[in-house]
Amino acid sequence: MGRPVAIIGSGQTYHGRRFDVTYPELVKEAVDALFEKTGISPDDIEGVVSGTMPSMMEGVALTHFYFAEVLRSVGKPIMKTETCGSTGISLAFTGYYWVASGMADLVLVVGSEKMNEGDSQATMTTVVEPFYQRYFIAGAPGVFSMQCQEWSTRFGIPEEKVREAATRITIDHHNDAFDNPYAHIKKRLTPEEVNNARIITYPIRLWDVCPNSDGACAMIFASEEMVKKYGLKPAWVKGVGYSGEEYWFGDSEKAIWQCAIDAAKQAYNMAGITNPRKELDVAEVYNPFTYQEMLYYECFGFCDFGEACDLVLKGVFSREGELPCDPSGGTLCTNPIGATGLNRVAEAALQVTGQAGDHQIPGAKLSLAHAMGGVDQYNGVMILGSKK
Amino acid sequence: MTNRVGIVEVAMTSGAETKDYFLDQVFKISKEVLDKSGITRDDVGTVISASSDVFHGGMSCANSYYWDAGAAFLKNGSRQDGESLFAFIYAVMRILTGNYDTALVLGVCKGSENPENDVLTHFFTDPFYQRQMGLNETIAAALQKREYMDRFGITEEQCAGVVVKNLKNALGNPYAHVKKKVDLDEVLASEVVMDPLKSMECAPKSEGIIAMVLAKEELAKKLTDKPVWFKGYGSSIDGFYLGDRDLLEGELPNAAKRAYDAAGIKDPRKEIDVAEVCEPYAFQEMLWCEDLGFCGRGEGGKLLESGATAADGDIPVNPSGGVLAMNPYVSRGLYRLAEGFLQIRGQAGERQLDKQVNTALAHSTHGFAGQCHAVAIIGS
Amino acid sequence: MKKDFYTVSNVIRLPHKYAAGPTFTRFYNGLEEGKIYGTSCPSCKKTFVPARSFCPGCCANLDEWVEVSQEGEVVSWTYTDREFFGMPGKPPVVLALIRLDGTDCDFLHLIGGIDQDDLEKVKSSIKRGTRVRARWNDEKKGHMLDIKCFEPVS
Repeated sequence: MGRPVAIIGSGQTYHGRRFDVTYPELVKEAVDALFEKTGISPDDIEGVVSGTMPSMMEGVALTHFYFAEVLRSVGKPIMKTETCGSTGISLAFTGYYWVASGMADLVLVVGSEKMNEGDSQATMTTVVEPFYQRYFIAGAPGVFSMQCQEWSTRFGIPEEKVREAATRITIDHHNDAFDNPYAHIKKRLTPEEVNNARIITYPIRLWDVCPNSDGACAMIFASEEMVKKYGLKPAWVKGVGYSGEEYWFGDSEKAIWQCAIDAAKQAYNMAGITNPRKELDVAEVYNPFTYQEMLYYECFGFCDFGEACDLVLKGVFSREGELPCDPSGGTLCTNPIGATGLNRVAEAALQVTGQAGDHQIPGAKLSLAHAMGGVDQYNGVMILGSKK
Repeated sequence: MTNRVGIVEVAMTSGAETKDYFLDQVFKISKEVLDKSGITRDDVGTVISASSDVFHGGMSCANSYYWDAGAAFLKNGSRQDGESLFAFIYAVMRILTGNYDTALVLGVCKGSENPENDVLTHFFTDPFYQRQMGLNETIAAALQKREYMDRFGITEEQCAGVVVKNLKNALGNPYAHVKKKVDLDEVLASEVVMDPLKSMECAPKSEGIIAMVLAKEELAKKLTDKPVWFKGYGSSIDGFYLGDRDLLEGELPNAAKRAYDAAGIKDPRKEIDVAEVCEPYAFQEMLWCEDLGFCGRGEGGKLLESGATAADGDIPVNPSGGVLAMNPYVSRGLYRLAEGFLQIRGQAGERQLDKQVNTALAHSTHGFAGQCHAVAIIGS
Repeated sequence: MKKDFYTVSNVIRLPHKYAAGPTFTRFYNGLEEGKIYGTSCPSCKKTFVPARSFCPGCCANLDEWVEVSQEGEVVSWTYTDREFFGMPGKPPVVLALIRLDGTDCDFLHLIGGIDQDDLEKVKSSIKRGTRVRARWNDEKKGHMLDIKCFEPVS
């Protein structure tokens, strides 16, 4: 489908509370890192895709105006993609389609977020319309807590087991984060600390939730010709999938989550994957909440429905397991929302090109990147491979 | 990729502000365009929309709200922020890859739920400098107009002439928001908003929900006897701070050149039969006409006075009435394209041009004094 | 059912605290001292005001600081006697793009020190090329409006 497209480089910023820089300066950090690493000249870029979360979160509207210079886009064609929390992966799709369509050979894609300048949960309530649901939604955790409850009761998973598995996930990822130089929260946690942490929205506790991070991620999508020209290690785009559901939370089931299932299916079909757990070497699943990560394992066909907790406790998805998930620490440790999905793609690309450093999964050849957005509304999946 | 992409059908709301419920409007227009195209929701491959949170009644993640109303339930889709021609070209790209046979393109902006446009454009500014000085799009346009008059001798009468021409054209457009016959004196006597801009030289704030069905070549031919083909596209963005730019030497020539090269156009004045140009401020139509190569630098005023851009001129500009007659900020690019589509098909009703229309240009701009431009060329 | 459909009013206020970083902070410190600072680009040699951390053209990092002239020429200007959202002060106002001497971009600020009661009077005192000079507020708090306005140089 379309021309072959590869990611030939990425740049990330350090994450955290970045009050040391303005927003454009933060974006510049990621873009400069990318050009420095790849040696590609910004002049050779034919198009730029920019994206963030909505204006209300940014405190600046239509941020591509504000970032024009640091994106190196002045005088160039530009696109501005935004799909709520899934913005990052939607940015990657835009870069992919731009090159795959033949309309450009070298496209720069940049996602960014400065979450700490605004009130992220206050802005989240404006995702919800003012006629009905705005009065009831307690920011993002409220929605995801309800989804977690729906999932665990739907499959009769005992509360203690869900807790135990979630605790394992958060301890592992916060350990993994030490091996990722760009991760925000790095911490050695004990089960007691996690289990006794304060409740955010029941059953979700503090360490089940991602942080607010400031950061940016930049990436280059290239045609086959450009892959040859620059001689950089390519991560080929093997499959793309995205799906969205109804606006109203409550209109459809979120345990057997159709848009997540569909997004993965589209991407697997394109990539020719029939047994994801076996064929994939590593997955960067968007995990803003511990519980959700397990739900995704099931929706993406890594295991059967209701089975994820058991497998997590057996270590199937940990760093040395059969299908390592989020060796970067994932969204749980680093969440600059408008960039988070793109970080997942960048990490998946680093893995299949053997450039992930201390968190490299040895010999990884096929990886999955994922992001989610809206009020539990969107999911997007991209499959990357070391071979065309 | 040699496959062509065709526009099959268009449906749109009028620009007049209404108290209709937003989701009903989106649903109605999406359904209407599918019905007209003779396809069902199941046949839709992908849905690409354009909307902007800041122009979206205070709702964040704008496309979340209208996703299912816009026929996208369990579809693969995406959204472009700020400019609806971006959504059009993204849909074209998706079809060109062969991943999809059809695409639904939406432009969504319900002006009636928004504050005044300039309350919102004020948030394009950086918080440290331009915001503290109160900058918004009208102030930027006023500064640009002053330079245009000072440097190229453009007159107030010429600027007012654009308003008279476009509002006259709008009288024949059932979708237009402002329908009023005006003369030069009325425009010249209208209240000063931001000197040298007067109120009638500034576009209104309008409703604008628009949907378009695109299809790959073979399918487009099957679905309609009169497909209109995508020929070329270009966009370009200028620097951020107003004071860093030459406000009269912007990025539109760059965007236009890309579109012309793709469409194989060498002499735009001769080869383009109709142009729909985004002119939220009257003088900009003349400046953009220069940038698009319809006349030389500084000759936009003369071009207008010659009657060349009137409905019966050799290069009619804005037969729909343009943005001065209807201004749904984000959707206005797609509305320009829709008018070109109707003119090529001979379906523009009362305002149908009295000549064969084979090639149309749709231009859109967003940002201060034209920071970002997009140009699309379509043809029979 | 009533024929006149309801509308629901909703005022949205969202708190933001923007990181100014070292460059804007130093620029604001300058304003507090009654000085206007710019930065110069080592590669294209242009001087920008307000001070920038990077060159808009070359994207080079800028750390060469210069105190720029408080005098310059009007490039373009606009006037309104209406109130608008985010307005710096009360109407009427004159906003202008001003090319400060020795700089390579236009500085956006207010024009003052002229009779602004009616437009014709403004037109007679401000034109493209009119020379203006910064006038400062007594109280300075590290804000663009520490400079009260730019006044014509007589």
